[in-house]
Amino acid sequence: MEYGFDINYVFDFIPKLLSTLNITLLIVAGAIGLGLIIGFLVALPRLYNVPVLRNVSMVYVSFFRGTPILIQLFLFYYGLPEILKLVSVDISKVPVIYFVILTFGLNVAAYVSETIRAAVQAVNRGQVEAAYAVGMTGYQAFTRIVLPQAVAIAIPVFANLVIAMLKDTSLAFTLGVMEMTGKAQTLGSLSQHFIETYIALALIYLVMSIALERLMLAAERRLSRHLRRDSNEKNRFFTRKRKRLTLGRLTGELKLDNKEVPRYEA
Amino acid sequence: MIKLSGIRKSFGRHEVLQGIDLTVNKGEVVAILGPSGSGKTTLLRCINYLEKPSDGEIRIGDFSLDVRHAGKKDIYALRQRSAMVFQQYNLFSHKTALENVIEGLIVVKKVGKEEARKRGIELLEKVGLGAKLDAYPSQLSGGQQQRVGIARALALEPEVILFDEPTSALDPELVGEVLAVIRRIAKEGITMIIVTHEMGFAQDVANHVVFMDGGVIVEEGDPAELFGNPKEERTKQFLKRFTSEYSYSI
Ligand SMILES: Nc1ncnc2c1ncn2[C@@H]1O[C@H](COP(=O)(O)OP(=O)(O)O)[C@@H](O)[C@H]1O
Ligand SMILES: [Mg+2]
Repeated sequence: MEYGFDINYVFDFIPKLLSTLNITLLIVAGAIGLGLIIGFLVALPRLYNVPVLRNVSMVYVSFFRGTPILIQLFLFYYGLPEILKLVSVDISKVPVIYFVILTFGLNVAAYVSETIRAAVQAVNRGQVEAAYAVGMTGYQAFTRIVLPQAVAIAIPVFANLVIAMLKDTSLAFTLGVMEMTGKAQTLGSLSQHFIETYIALALIYLVMSIALERLMLAAERRLSRHLRRDSNEKNRFFTRKRKRLTLGRLTGELKLDNKEVPRYEA
Repeated sequence: MIKLSGIRKSFGRHEVLQGIDLTVNKGEVVAILGPSGSGKTTLLRCINYLEKPSDGEIRIGDFSLDVRHAGKKDIYALRQRSAMVFQQYNLFSHKTALENVIEGLIVVKKVGKEEARKRGIELLEKVGLGAKLDAYPSQLSGGQQQRVGIARALALEPEVILFDEPTSALDPELVGEVLAVIRRIAKEGITMIIVTHEMGFAQDVANHVVFMDGGVIVEEGDPAELFGNPKEERTKQFLKRFTSEYSYSI
């Protein structure tokens, strides 16, 4: 019974796994940062209906949403150096983690762009006209009226994206990146206590997901306070309903890894 | 003074406005009546360029714009001379009542925050919402939202306020409070163009009444004349149908 289940290994592994947490977080932060910027740029041609660019955006989004992220990872890691070799750029010395961040960033961007598009279109057109009627320019109407409301609408979807990204970082180990899952593999092989390693690993991901969920919920509350009614009967009803909806989202999210962008009603 | 000359507007092949000429003197209240689909909303929206007219000239005060050579700057300049009160209120839903009223002052007119606030509070008190400064639109009734909409229009001190059926989205019991506010500001000599189906209100408040049908002005005149003694057959038909519906519903 050398390798019988021993709960102590779980507690022992948690700090060891956490020592690679910074790599995981670096991938998440890098990918989300990159994804926000590129996602916004990808959304623009479709929001403003720019002829050719609009189609480029659509192809981009279909590719990243329609193929497994693991395949995307391999394609960029093995394919990009080959392509760049054709124009005499040598990136064979670039650390793997940059490829991981780039791929995840481009992948997140596809979802971000769809989220932005849906959220912007959900903002009532009449409010934009009201903004024009008071004399605002197109830019002022977008930044002062549309964007703040779109962000509030997009926050729950965005929260799902970040959590999904956090979990997807575990795929980086397939390219040999020593993030938490990679570390878990090593710990498991060395100790032969695989179950304990993976329990420890699952616990860490779970706690982080819940923490992120909380954080996003606070942001959502803050940004959508205009949708709440205060200090009357309706208030209590409304908050109770919201809480239930949120719990539903949490469980749905953890089970299904659901990245679909919901349809918004205008 | 507002002067529209030869305003035309087509959607595809459908010519919705077929050459509208209208003059509104300073301080005048003009009511526009007409059946649904006659082009009333489109006309108001052309005046502040929410729709681009196909042809014509718009003059508001000392500013005049020929739609055939209108650039972006001209359009912004034109819009700053008018304000609009919408049928669906169209308040900014992420902003409080006060923020709705002063948004244009701060962003467009570049008025300082403190001064804008002071002015916003005065205006909300004037429309009877001094106690709702920090309420979001979702916390207000339709009538209250529309009164915020009116305060928002007043804040810009425009040369003309355009009202597009300001009470037709309201529950009947809320219509009165909004009409009362419009009546009050009409007395202050603010120039207004009001599209409405409230015949009694139009007859009382307007100095001039315009009847539109099929994209043209069929008849216009002072209220006593147009309501009491309409000349055109189409006007007679419309008023007859409307007053009978009106008395029926009472
Ligand atoms: N954006 C649009 N596209 C196409 N047709 C429109 C549009 N807006 C209005 N119309 C048409 O123009 C006509 C006049 O509409 P409108 O100005 O709203 O009339 P009213 O306000 O008098 O009811 C109607 O036949 C309507 O269907
Ligand atoms: Mg209309």
